[in-house]
Amino acid sequence: MIGQASKRGKAWRVFFLALPLLLFLISLSIGSYAISPGGLYKTVISLFSPSSHPEVPDAYRDILLRIRLPRLLLAVAIGAALSVSGASLQALFKNPLVNEYILGISSGAAFGAALSLVFLGRAFPPQIGAFVFAFVAVGVVLLISGQAESHFISLLLTGIIVTAFFSALLSLVEFFASPYVLQALFFWLMGSLSLASWKDLAISLPLIAVGLILLFLLRWRLNVLSMSDEEARSLGVNVRREKMLVIAATTLITAAGTSIVGIIGWVGFIVPHFVRLMFGADNRLVIPMSAAMGASIMLVADDIIRGVSALEIPIGIFTSLVGIPIFLALLKKTKKVWL
Amino acid sequence: MSVRVVNLSFSYKNFTLKVEALKFESAKITAIVGPNGAGKTTFLKCIGAVLPASKGSLFIDGRDIMSLRSQERARLIGYVPQEHDTVFNYQVADFVLMGRAAYISPFALPSQEDIKAAEEALEFVGLSEYTGRSISELSSGERRLVLIARALAQKSAILLMDEPTTFLDPKHETEVLQLVRKLAIEKQKTILVTLHSLEMAVQYADSMVFMKNGEVVASGRPDEIFQEPLLESVYGMRMKILDWNGRKLVLR
Repeated sequence: MIGQASKRGKAWRVFFLALPLLLFLISLSIGSYAISPGGLYKTVISLFSPSSHPEVPDAYRDILLRIRLPRLLLAVAIGAALSVSGASLQALFKNPLVNEYILGISSGAAFGAALSLVFLGRAFPPQIGAFVFAFVAVGVVLLISGQAESHFISLLLTGIIVTAFFSALLSLVEFFASPYVLQALFFWLMGSLSLASWKDLAISLPLIAVGLILLFLLRWRLNVLSMSDEEARSLGVNVRREKMLVIAATTLITAAGTSIVGIIGWVGFIVPHFVRLMFGADNRLVIPMSAAMGASIMLVADDIIRGVSALEIPIGIFTSLVGIPIFLALLKKTKKVWL
Repeated sequence: MSVRVVNLSFSYKNFTLKVEALKFESAKITAIVGPNGAGKTTFLKCIGAVLPASKGSLFIDGRDIMSLRSQERARLIGYVPQEHDTVFNYQVADFVLMGRAAYISPFALPSQEDIKAAEEALEFVGLSEYTGRSISELSSGERRLVLIARALAQKSAILLMDEPTTFLDPKHETEVLQLVRKLAIEKQKTILVTLHSLEMAVQYADSMVFMKNGEVVASGRPDEIFQEPLLESVYGMRMKILDWNGRKLVLR
């Protein structure tokens, strides 16, 4: 019967869906200041009832509440956001190589956030500038490439050009930035979770949640949208309207994420690819599994960064260093050209 | 449901399709034939709203449906493309289920009713055992059947089929056309099918439409219009029609 999965398949799904929660709990004790599981338990209890464990040092509570919790929540949100946005865009553009970076969304968002940080200061939410320019970037890419005959090649080339243009604008912003702001900007652009604060999360997390919920609800529709536009239209889909909806949702989550962590590449490529290898192409599974696996990978990557040395490598550099060789290996193995 | 086309036109670059008036009878098979570039596929796509016709009317049982939303139109007209280029390797069941898109809100998942419709469609084309297989594992003949099953799950009264037998060997070609006939008889579908094989068109269709340079040259029952002079003028070459035990064979 249609829709019946094997018991083993179901068990794997449950495992991967529960993995982020498990990793989250483990990650709370990892860092330059390690907290044992027992200490962690007592700290959590003492947060609710301070008199129950008077021996728990204040530093533990500070580390947990002000540093680790926002950082790990951000890692989960960004991992899920990038992976789901990659999977959705790949279905929409019928190509497993597409992601928010190729479409210029990331560079537009980075420029918008940098512009906001440099000229409007930290008090003004950078998410607004990031969203506006991410939308402008993807709009320009789609407008120019949509008129060409060979859609994917023109999409790729226009994406490269628009990304280069926004990178140049970003350099211009950096040129005008004060040395103090420039240093923060430089670190942020490399993709870092260490700047996580409750203030940033209060704005970005709800935006990411809205985008993720929207894409989760659209997950079956993404199957139909992954057919050729002609097929989707004949099946009764308002292709233009639904494409815009998916692009708006992915732009929203990318802009909300990029404005606080900078550009983190390759997660949106690799995670959906692995999910499809493991669970098949049906987006009813690809979307939730990508969210879970993206969150898990980001938590593990951040644990490695925090656990290995006190000198933290920005996570954007780490994901690129690990992601690119994996991607090349996958490309070689599949022996397929998606142009 | 009967289909009537009035003054339908479509232009792309230097090609123009112009169909003044054409009627397709309910629960009958109409074969659209003609040389390459005659506009057969474009005509089908305009009827199926896959391509936007620049003007014209399309009446289904007397009601003009040209301005209907894509979702409502898809419940009336199903379209089977010539081929499906697989980018993502869906399972057969998931692929056929996509035929239910016109009945499912963009934010919802297929219901039990949708799953049942997909199962029935797969059973009708004889691929019930294939639900768990992936599309890339199928032969091109099986893939055609899956495309037909998807359109069947759409439960539309009218089916448009674009060259469903191209690149198929004689056995699979016959199987697909027998299935087309079964759809017209058992499911009462009004079927418009573009074909290259004139012999198959004469054998399986209740009526034929000959197209050339974007226009309809002739239409009617095969026994009335299937004549050598017409073939010669449409294809620009001499053709001889032989009668063999009631079957028409074309020599060229």
